[in-house]
Amino acid sequence: MRSHAAAAHRVELHRHHQRGHAVHAIHRPVNRFLGLPLGVTIALVWANTVPEPYFRLAQTLAFAVNEIGMALFVGLIMQEIVEATMEGGALHSWRRWTLPLIAAAGGIAGSVGTYLAWVQGRYEVILTAGWPIACAVDVAAAYYVLKAIMPRSGILPFVLLLGIATDLFGMVIVAVWRPTVGAPGGGAALLLAALGLAGVMRTLKVRAFWPYLLICGPLSWFAFLRDGLHPAFALVPIVPFLPHEPRKLDLLADPPDDDAVHHFEHEWNTLVQVVLFLFGLVNGGVILTGYDTGTWAVLLAALVGRPAGILAAVGLAVLAGWHLPRRIGWRQLVVAAFAASTGFTFALFFASGILYTGPMLAQLTIGALATAAGALLAIGIARLAGVGRFSRAS
Amino acid sequence: MRRAVVVLVVLLSAGGLAPAAQNPALQAPAPGKAEGLPGRQDSLKFAVIGDNGNGDKTEYDVGQQMAAARAKFPFDMVLMLGDNMYGRQDPQDFVSKFEQPYAALLQAGVLFYASLGNHDNQSNRFYKGFNMGGERYFSYVKKNVRFFVLDSNVLDPQQRSWLDEALGRAREDWKICYFHHPLYSDGGRHGSDVSLRVALEPTLVKHGVNVVFSGHDHIYERIKPQKGISYFVAGSGGELRRGDVHPSGMTAAYFDQDNAFMLVEVAGDDMFFEAVARTGTTVDSGVIHRQSNDARATR
Repeated sequence: MRSHAAAAHRVELHRHHQRGHAVHAIHRPVNRFLGLPLGVTIALVWANTVPEPYFRLAQTLAFAVNEIGMALFVGLIMQEIVEATMEGGALHSWRRWTLPLIAAAGGIAGSVGTYLAWVQGRYEVILTAGWPIACAVDVAAAYYVLKAIMPRSGILPFVLLLGIATDLFGMVIVAVWRPTVGAPGGGAALLLAALGLAGVMRTLKVRAFWPYLLICGPLSWFAFLRDGLHPAFALVPIVPFLPHEPRKLDLLADPPDDDAVHHFEHEWNTLVQVVLFLFGLVNGGVILTGYDTGTWAVLLAALVGRPAGILAAVGLAVLAGWHLPRRIGWRQLVVAAFAASTGFTFALFFASGILYTGPMLAQLTIGALATAAGALLAIGIARLAGVGRFSRAS
Repeated sequence: MRRAVVVLVVLLSAGGLAPAAQNPALQAPAPGKAEGLPGRQDSLKFAVIGDNGNGDKTEYDVGQQMAAARAKFPFDMVLMLGDNMYGRQDPQDFVSKFEQPYAALLQAGVLFYASLGNHDNQSNRFYKGFNMGGERYFSYVKKNVRFFVLDSNVLDPQQRSWLDEALGRAREDWKICYFHHPLYSDGGRHGSDVSLRVALEPTLVKHGVNVVFSGHDHIYERIKPQKGISYFVAGSGGELRRGDVHPSGMTAAYFDQDNAFMLVEVAGDDMFFEAVARTGTTVDSGVIHRQSNDARATR
C-alpha cells in the first residue's frame, strides 16, 4: 500500500516536473525575447486601423522610452559583452575574434554600400542620412535561428561575435552622430563625477547594482544629453564598474543555465522586457503605405549586401591564410550570413536614434521591421542546402 | 462608377454648371467670374505647383499653361511644394527641369519659392532660383500674407520650435504654410501622413494658420476644412498618378485625370483659388473666408 502510494507520488512528481519544463520552455523565450515583437505587432495593427490616437500616444511616450528606458537595454547589452569577454568568459579569447571581425567589417561594407548605392541610384540623396540603420544585426534573432538549425555548432560564437562587432560599430555611430543642435554642453564634468562615484563604489566593493544605476546612471545620462550624445548610451561608461562575474556559457545563456552567478541582466530582465515592449509599441507603428525607396534600401542592405559582404570578406581572409572555424564549411557559413541579416531590434533602435518624426523615419522603419525576413531566409537556405537539422545524412 | 460621378461633378462645377461649394466655408465663384479669380489690383496673386521637376513633356505643358494663365492673371510668385527636381540633379538638370519649363515666367520676373520634397537634394536650397536662402525651413511676407515653408522630410525639434515661435510672432492677416508631405490626403499611393499631422497640427491650429498646401501624392485634391484649416494637395505639376484618389468624407473636390496647378488670389479677408489642368481647363475653384482666431475658438 505504502509502495503503491510512493509510486503514485513519484508519477505525480514526474508529471509536475514535466509540466515545469513545459512551462519553462514557453516562459523563457516569452520572458526574454517576445516583448519587442509583441509591442511592434500591437503598434502595427493600431497604427493601420486608428492611426491618430496611436501616433498621439507614441509621440507622447517617445522621449521617455527612447531616451530614458532604452538606456537600460543598452546597459544590458554592454553588460553581456563585458562579462562574456572577461577572463573565464565564453568570448574571452581574442584569437576567436579575428575572423568574425573580418566578417563583420565585410558585412558592414556590403550593407552600407548596398544602402548607399540604392538611395543614390534612385536619386534620393536625403536618405543617405539613414545609412547607420544598415549596421544592425539582431544578435538574439541570429543566435536562436542558428541554434535551431545547428545546435552546438561552432558557428554560434562566430555569429555572436560578428553581430556584436557590427552592432558596436552602429551604436558608436548612432551615439555620436545624433543630429543635435544647440546642446548646452558641460557634460564632461557630469560624466567625470559619475565615473568618479562609480570608481569609489567599486573601491568600496559595493556589490549591489542599484547604487551604480540610480546614482551614477542619471549623472551620466544628463552628461550625454548636455553634450548632444544619445542619452540611451549613458550606462555604457558605467557598466564596466559594476560587479561582474564571467559568463561561463554562451552569451545570451538563460538564467537557469547559469544560476550560480548573480548577473545584472537576470535582475533587470523583466524591466528591460517592459522597456522593449514599450519601445516596439512606440516605434514599430508605421502606416504600411508609407513604404518607399528607403524601405527597399534597408531591406536590400540587410538581405543582400550584408550576406554578400560577409561571405566576400571571409573568402578573402581564407585566401589570405585564415581558417574557417572547426567543422564549419561554406554551406554553414552561407546560412550564418543570412541569419545575421535580420536587423529588427537594433535596426529599429538605430532608426529611432538618428531620425526624427516624419516620412523618412517611417519608410526606414518599415524596412527595419521587414528585415525579420532574414530569419526565414536563413531557414529556407539551410533547408535547401541540407545544413544542420536539414542535413540529408541525418 | 462613384469616382466617375465625382469627377464629372468637379468638371461641371468648374464650368459653372454646378456649385463648387461643398462645405460651408466655401462659396461658388461670383456670377460672371467663371474662373473664380477677381483679379483685383492690390491683391496678392500667386501660383502653386508640386511634384513638378521631372523634365518631361507634362512639366513643360504645365509651364506653358501657367505662362498663358499669367497673361490673364498676373501673378508674381510661385509656391513649389517639393520634388522640384526628380532624378539626376546636376547643373544641367536645373536648366532642363526648371529654367526651361518655366522660362517665360522666369523672364517675366516671377519668383519661385520652393520647399524640399523627398526627391530633392538638400543642397538645392542654395540654388538661387528656388529663393530658399540656403534654409530648409523659412518664412517670408508678401502683402498681408506670411508664408511658412517647412521641410517635412524630417521634423526635428529645432524646426518645430522655430515654427512655433515664428507663427507666434506673425502679425499678418493670413498665415499660409506649405511643405511636401500632406497632413490630409485621399491619394491611394501615400495618403495622409498621420504621424506628421499629430506632430504639426496642434501648432498650426494654435496659431491660427489659415491654409496649408502640400504635394507628394500626384493628384489635385481639396480637403474640407479640418479644425479651421483649409488643406490642398497639389502634387501633379509634372508627375501624375491617374485615378489615384479614393474620395472619403473629407474630400471637397479632386482631379486625378491630368496634371494640374493652382492659381490663388488673396484679397482682403478672402482667398480665391482655382485649379487648372494641363489643358487649361479649370477643374476646381472657390473662395475661402479668413476666420479670426476668436471665431475659430468658438467652432
